[in-house]
Parts: sequence; structure tokens; C-alpha cells
Amino acid sequence: MIMAEHTVQKPKRVLPKSRIMVAEQTSQVYKDARDAKARGEKIGWSTAIFPQEICETLDIPVLYPENNAASVSAKHLGDELIQHAEGPMRFPMNICSYARLNLGLADKIQDPTYNTADPLMSSPDFLLLANNSCTQLMKWYENLSRNLNVPIFFVDCLFNYYEEKPAEYKVKYIRKQIEGYIAAIENFSGKKFNWDKFLEVQKRSQINSKLFDEIIRLNARTPAPLSGFDFFNYMSCLVLCRGKESTTEIFKQLKEEVEEHIANSTSSFPAEEEFRVHWEGIACWPNLGHNLKILKNYGVNAVINGYVTAWNVVYEPGNLDSMAYAYATSSTNSLSTPSIMNMRADTIQNYNCDGMLCHVNRSCKLMTFHIFVGRNIVEEKTGVPCVNFDGDQSDTRVYSEAQFETRVQGLVEIMKQNKEARNG
Amino acid sequence: MLTMGIDIGSTACKCIILKDGLEIIARAIVPLGTGTNGARKVFEDALAVNNLTKADIDRILVTGYGRFTFDDADNQKSELSCHAKGIHFLFPSARTIIDIGGQDIKVLRVSVKGMLEKFVMNDKCAAGTGKFLDVMAGILNVNTAELGDIGEGATHEVSISNTCTVFAESEVISKLSTNVKIGDLVAGIHRSVSKRVATLAFRNGIAKDVAMSGGVALNKGVVSALGQELKTEILVHRDCQLAGALGVALFAWEEVLKGA
Repeated sequence: MIMAEHTVQKPKRVLPKSRIMVAEQTSQVYKDARDAKARGEKIGWSTAIFPQEICETLDIPVLYPENNAASVSAKHLGDELIQHAEGPMRFPMNICSYARLNLGLADKIQDPTYNTADPLMSSPDFLLLANNSCTQLMKWYENLSRNLNVPIFFVDCLFNYYEEKPAEYKVKYIRKQIEGYIAAIENFSGKKFNWDKFLEVQKRSQINSKLFDEIIRLNARTPAPLSGFDFFNYMSCLVLCRGKESTTEIFKQLKEEVEEHIANSTSSFPAEEEFRVHWEGIACWPNLGHNLKILKNYGVNAVINGYVTAWNVVYEPGNLDSMAYAYATSSTNSLSTPSIMNMRADTIQNYNCDGMLCHVNRSCKLMTFHIFVGRNIVEEKTGVPCVNFDGDQSDTRVYSEAQFETRVQGLVEIMKQNKEARNG
Repeated sequence: MLTMGIDIGSTACKCIILKDGLEIIARAIVPLGTGTNGARKVFEDALAVNNLTKADIDRILVTGYGRFTFDDADNQKSELSCHAKGIHFLFPSARTIIDIGGQDIKVLRVSVKGMLEKFVMNDKCAAGTGKFLDVMAGILNVNTAELGDIGEGATHEVSISNTCTVFAESEVISKLSTNVKIGDLVAGIHRSVSKRVATLAFRNGIAKDVAMSGGVALNKGVVSALGQELKTEILVHRDCQLAGALGVALFAWEEVLKGA
């Protein structure tokens, strides 16, 4: 009898050099923050797509709560913090689980003996907020600000509900805020802003974005040289260190490794690639292992996803309007459903995907509720089946292993039918 | 040649034996789900109908949540495709299949050839499922199988506003204490199920004809209410609860023909 491999234990694979470099880079980011605090210097916490160029230029360490929540969740350490937020802190369970986790952590780390979360964040002296990925961030950071008694530097980005491109007044608005916060953070930190260095940071950011884009595009090949899930590991470079040389080194190494896979006809996907899917939505961080196990068992490689490309903040260095435009649009969350799903449909075609697997992430309404309408757009435009499953980016109470497998199996059966029909 | 299909569900196990891919020669249902001896019992019950043994069966396939747990099976198939295939056998004109099981609601769109085109399933919530009806029947102190007949006597359907099974249970209890008629309450329960299912069905898109499978399809009250919500007739076969088992028995037949 053919059974799914529920109980097969395989030895852990040896990590490629690029992954080791990522781990070292991440450790350094947290260490830099701890060291700065020890020296009595200010550090910040930032939303994922705030103009990182400002603090990078000022040499101020910045940590990223969303990325931290993802890491803590992936290590299955988030439940304690979420319970703390819902319990004594009284936050409702229907708000974003990243927010619950981080608000819980922010409270816990006020106790200097607390050390359970990993990675452990140092407490911030200020907050950097851009609402280009969602507006719930505003309330999250407002609560952090109040609880920790620290200021927020807030870049207000306007959503583009009906436009493919943001109107000129929106770009002007964001540019003015960037200029204003350069001065404000300079004043707050007591550090001098160097415009020459700013230009270098912008250039470095573009080199890194371009490199990452090149690497991702290599996965459009059939079969793909990478398991698409690997991209989730490298995202942190763009989130935490988009303007750093260390990211360039990592991406160069990664690109070499991918090209070696291509030359040797190998792949980091741990099975024969029978089907290719586009993964829609944030990763199910606590359940990544189970996701990959099931997908692998059915030969499904999630070769691309919309989440990893959100940090391709592409602009012309030295051009603040171009930079402001990029921050207005880099997260697809700020676009309309037709805009987002048409982009997904194009990606599905470009990456030769057989289907789309949508993580209905209970925590991120903005990023996943468009799926219910949007899947029709994708199905009509591409002809590939789209299937949803329930989960959450950090809250472990939502995901069901049996339900995930049933839905993946249904998706595979339709993809298989379609493939057999195409091949006659 | 004989093939067997077993559907090991969350609350019941079903079995069909098919002759030459055309004739159903045995049916069995055991109200015990995955994790129990339900699969073994339904397997033996189905064989016993014609005094057969396992050796008489050319191929055995399983489906359902418990499909990985039956050692005597030759292979397993996803229940989605099995329901599609089974209902297509029973109603070749069906293009939309609504399966309400113990814990799941599935809405399938199938092609003219009975191939699965797209599907939606319920979110992680028991509202609208067989479990919802079981809980309500428990409160009313009746058998779930009796709900269809009881609801027929309704004169003033009582609205149940909560979709959560647990909260709806509380709501029904509070209404019982106001002396409403049981029939009116049951009609309201059926309406609640049908609204939940209809929402899912509309999300997947409705193409006629619409058929139901799964144990809840035997509840004429739910079928009637759902037909009203969807504004269409709903086809229900006497073997609707066995559609999954039938479908997987048909897949077994196809594998026999291919020389598996």
C-alpha cells in the first residue's frame, strides 16, 4: 500500500554556506543592538518596510519586531508571549499574532532576567513605523509607544485602492516625511546625517534588491534549483540588512550555490518536482516543517511566493521621489485586489506554476482576505486551480495538519488531471 | 471482477463493493469513525453481504480522513475526487456537489466527465457540519436521524443567530426554556446549517445540477432549506452517504483495468 510518509525520519541536511552566513548576520544584528544599549546609545524597532536607509546612514541599530516574531514562532517559542499578551495584558485574540507576540515580548523584556524568547530583542528607545503593509501596525506601535514610553517616527503611506500607480501627491507626501524624519532622527539620536553615506546606502540597497531579484528569477526554471521555501530563510537579509554589504556577500554566495545546482541539475527541493505552485500569503512559521513535509511527499515545490518580493524596494539612488514611490508600492498590501492578483497571475505564468496554494492567515486580514475574490481572477487568467488552507503566521491554534494535507491532496489531484489532459 | 471502496470518515465508515465497475453488490455503513474499529467492521460487514472474503476482491482502495490507517487497502485517494466520481456515477448531470460530513463541508465543481475542477472546504469550524446537528439533537434529546421528520412539523421557524456550534447550543437551550415548539427550533437549526453551507457554495460558484453527498444529505429538512438558499433543486440519491466509498471503488476499478 502506498502511504504518505508520516513517520519516515530523515537525517537533517547539511546547511549551505549562505544559510550559515544568514545566521551569522542575524546574530550580529542583535549583538549590535545589545552592544549599543550597553554603551548608552539609542536603538530602534521598525516595521518591516520603513525607509531603513535613514538609520543605516546614521549607524543606529534597528531591530524588526515582525521578523523577530517570525523567528520566535518558527522556533515554537511564541505561545508563551501570545498568552501573556492575551492574558494579563488583555489584548484580544483577533488582532495580528505578530502584534500579540511582540507586545508580550516587549513587556517581558522589561524584566532583565527574562531570556526565553529567541532571538531576544533589546528594548527600543524609539519606534519607526510605516503603514505601507497595513494599518493595524499603527495601533500596535501606538501601544508599544505608550507601554515603553518611547516616541514613534511615523511615515504615513496612503493605499492605492483604485490606481495601478500612486498619484503624485502621495509620492510628494512620503518624500516630505522622509526628509522630515532624517532631520528628526538626527536630532533625536544626536548623530550627524551624512548625505554621501546615504547615497552609498541607497546604492547598496539597490545592489542587494537586484541580486535577490536575479536569484528569485533563477527559480523560474523547470525543475527549480531551489525549494521555494528556502526563500523564507533569506528574506531576513532584506528585512534586517537591506543596506548592508554583508547582504551583498550572502546573496553572491547564494547565487553561486543556485548556479551550481543548475549546472549539476540538482535542487535543494528534497524530492522530485512533480508540481510547481505559487504560495500566496505569509509563511505558517510554526508549521513550516509540516508544510514542507506534506508538499515534499506530494512532489509539490512552492517555487515562488508573493511575500518574499515585498522587500524589493527598487528606486534610483540619489532620487528621493523615486525612493518615496518605491516605499509607497513595494508591499502589494497597499494595492487593490485586482492589482495584486493580476501580478500573481503574471508570476504564475512566468514561473510555470501548476497551481496556487493560499495560506488564509488569520492574523493578516489585509494580506489574505483578498484571496476569496482574487482566486477567481487568478483562475480565470491562468487556468490553474487555487486552493486555500487555514493557518496563522504565529498563533499555533489555527493550523490543522489533517486539513492542510486534505487540501493539498485535492489540489494535487486537480493539477495531475490538468497535466494529464495537457499531455494527452 | 470486484473492487471495494472504503470511506473512513471522522464519524462513520462506509463501504461499497462494486462488480465490474458498474453494479453495486454490497453496501455497509458503521457509525464509528477514524481511530476506532469502524473501518475493520465495515469491511467485514460489506464482505458478509455476499459471503465474500478479502481474496475475492481484486482491489481495495480507501479514502477519507482515516485513509492512511487501513492496512488491507492497496492504495488511498483523496476524498474530494472520490466524492466527485461517486456522485457522477449516481447523477451524471451534477456539476456542483455539496458534501456535508461529520466535520467537513465540501463544495465541489466537476466537469461533464465528473472530473474535479475546483473546490472549497469549510474553515476550521464545525458550524454547518454533521457535528453541529449532533450537538443540537443532543440538546433536544432526539436522534440526529429524526431531525428531518421533526422539522417538517414547523409552523413558525425559530431563528438561530449564532454560527458557532457551542454558542448556538446555548441559544437553543435558552429558546427551549421559552417553550417554543421543537419542530420550529429544528427548522431554525436546518436554516442555520443551510445558510452556512450556501455561503460556501456561492464562494465556489454554483453550476447546475446541484447534488448532495454525505450523511447530512439524508436530512430532508437541511436539503429543503439549502435548496431555498441556493434557489435550485438539490439532487439526493439514497446512496448519498456512500458517494465517497463508491467513488473510491470506481477508482479501484480503473486501476484494475490499468493492470495495477
